[in-house]
Amino acid sequence: MNYAVLRAEDFALQALRRADPGLARAPVALLRGEGRHALAAEVSPESGLPPGLPAPLALARCPGLLLRPRDPAAEAEAQSLLIAAASTLAPRVEATAPGCCTADLRGADPAALGRALRLLPLELARAGLAVRIGAAATALLALYAARRADPVLVVERAAEFLAPLPLDFAEPQPGQAEVLAQWGIRTLGQLTALPRAEVGRRLGPEGVALWERAAGESERVLRLVEPGRTFAVEWAYEPPVEAIEPLFFRLRRFAERVAFELRAAGLAASALALTLLLEDGSDYRRTFTLPEPNTDVDGWLRVLQAHLETVRTAARVSGVRFAAAEARARVKQDGLFDTGLRDPQAFWESLARVGAIVGEGRVGTPRPADTHRPDAFTLEKPAPAVAPAADAPVHPPRGLVPRRFRPPWPVQVAWAEGRPAGLAGPELRDAVREARGPWRASGDWWRPDAWARETWQVELAGGGIYELAREGGSWSVTAIFD
Amino acid sequence: MPRSSQSVSALREVLAARFPEKARRPEGVLPTGIAPVDEALGGGLPAGRLTELVSAAPSSGGQLVFFQLLLATRSARQRLALVDGADGFDPQDAPPDALPHLVWARCAGAAQALAAAEILVRDGNYAAVVLDVRGLPVRSLRQIPASGWYRLQRAAEGGAAAVLIQSTLPLVPGVPFRLVLPDSLPLEGARSPRAGLAGRLRVEKARGHEEALPSTLGLTG
Repeated sequence: MNYAVLRAEDFALQALRRADPGLARAPVALLRGEGRHALAAEVSPESGLPPGLPAPLALARCPGLLLRPRDPAAEAEAQSLLIAAASTLAPRVEATAPGCCTADLRGADPAALGRALRLLPLELARAGLAVRIGAAATALLALYAARRADPVLVVERAAEFLAPLPLDFAEPQPGQAEVLAQWGIRTLGQLTALPRAEVGRRLGPEGVALWERAAGESERVLRLVEPGRTFAVEWAYEPPVEAIEPLFFRLRRFAERVAFELRAAGLAASALALTLLLEDGSDYRRTFTLPEPNTDVDGWLRVLQAHLETVRTAARVSGVRFAAAEARARVKQDGLFDTGLRDPQAFWESLARVGAIVGEGRVGTPRPADTHRPDAFTLEKPAPAVAPAADAPVHPPRGLVPRRFRPPWPVQVAWAEGRPAGLAGPELRDAVREARGPWRASGDWWRPDAWARETWQVELAGGGIYELAREGGSWSVTAIFD
Repeated sequence: MPRSSQSVSALREVLAARFPEKARRPEGVLPTGIAPVDEALGGGLPAGRLTELVSAAPSSGGQLVFFQLLLATRSARQRLALVDGADGFDPQDAPPDALPHLVWARCAGAAQALAAAEILVRDGNYAAVVLDVRGLPVRSLRQIPASGWYRLQRAAEGGAAAVLIQSTLPLVPGVPFRLVLPDSLPLEGARSPRAGLAGRLRVEKARGHEEALPSTLGLTG
């Protein structure tokens, strides 16, 4: 197979429905024409109507029918989705017609292609676009296959496939169709059974072209298009929205397209940037770093949802910008004995969701900085596998474990004989029963952020051991030993 | 046995027969490495259950318990999650090799902490999830709805992670296991090795196996 054709039936209607959550399961008809001459050109299966009925008649036969005009923006978005999806099969893609794309598969790995062809209709159906895919030796034959596919049809033997197809597939001109009907020719097989030269002698060059189309042999050069590579979308709400559901519906739709575009480019998203444009002219921006680059739309949305459920904006949302930061997908295979994670996908997704709740850079594995500066550490991405522990330290840790106050509690210190005798502050006020110290430390004197501090350990009369520290001339309680 | 106790015992038997899954004992325990705690819990933190550790006095050893759990899970190469409600954990205090298995969520409040804990408890990759709400204002802790704790319990029951909740007052209604650290430790013992200090902690069991009822029924609290 050299070509694949992705074809969406009733494309304009499908595009309309995937853009509007209110039309998902309702009987809908797409209007074509105006006034009394308007036709219900495309109808959803829920209506039970045949296509092409006059609109008043369609309404009479299906009272709940929702009549809608075409939505060019929704069609453009659905077409972008289709192009991006086709581009995941092969990089050479033609936007053949609205709702129809042709991919040049020559050079693609047949095994991977077979799997991709089977999965693509399912993925597009999840994205709200039902497609049929045909694959064959020529683009035309692939198009015929797409019209007969359910949902995928790969044509290996062209003659057998073409023989029973009705003559309409080859799109004869009206005059040709009439002549051929008089000859008793009703299928492509019957036409191609006639000698090509004889057909040409009787019907002229148009007849030869028709015969070639009937044989699926008509070759043409694809008019290639490039899928989007911005990996970003922006849309507006009119009227602005207050609830999270309509926001999420469209976010999913656009995220699905971005994910296909990333996959088509062999990339994945390492971070998601979301901007809510508010009715009062302000905006709300947030970036979500994904622990592992991926194109999992469900995972993205769980991360976004975990955060958005906590967000309260001052005004209604009038628009949204969504962008994915591109990165190379991880291709490393874990080692045979790396059994650190039972469910790696859940692990990374949980981290991203927690990150969306607690904030960027506030979840991860801590790594103390190589300095004596207090409270200096970084949070890093957790390792996929936990390495064996090193030998126990020669000098085991001693004493109670500090639990820090961030920020520290400011206190006034009363002194007696050079030692702290009492603390007074908003959070803590007590006499000091026992104090140990001072410990003085300093560092980074050659840098602008040089530090120096004096610390004491104090036990209060009411119980509790605290760390008392002086930095920059003021005292504060920085930790409790617990 | 008083009549009321007989009634409760009879009720427990009925409930155990009616909801055998809920009355099931945890299948495994996660040793903390602290003898008084492990003894009080029958071997360690129960998997798939909530355990509440109440630090009733300041400097009563709650952070020491976490530190020992950190070391115990590290040596077993198990993942540990710390949901730090008041952002109090000090990674500089731990030996660097004690941290690679730790996932630390630095929260800013009880609501964040509870939401993050639920996600991590459901994850399935952690041997233990520690939800530390010490250091948060008591008022904000009391505002946590009971349904929040029940959700966490339901999440824990579906998985293999032991869930330790560290607080300064009893918070979790119907928690199957509750331990209390009642005494402030003195400064004079503050230079002893931590393993020795942990072994000398005084731990009171406020709720345990014998008292545990199917918590979904809300009969304990």
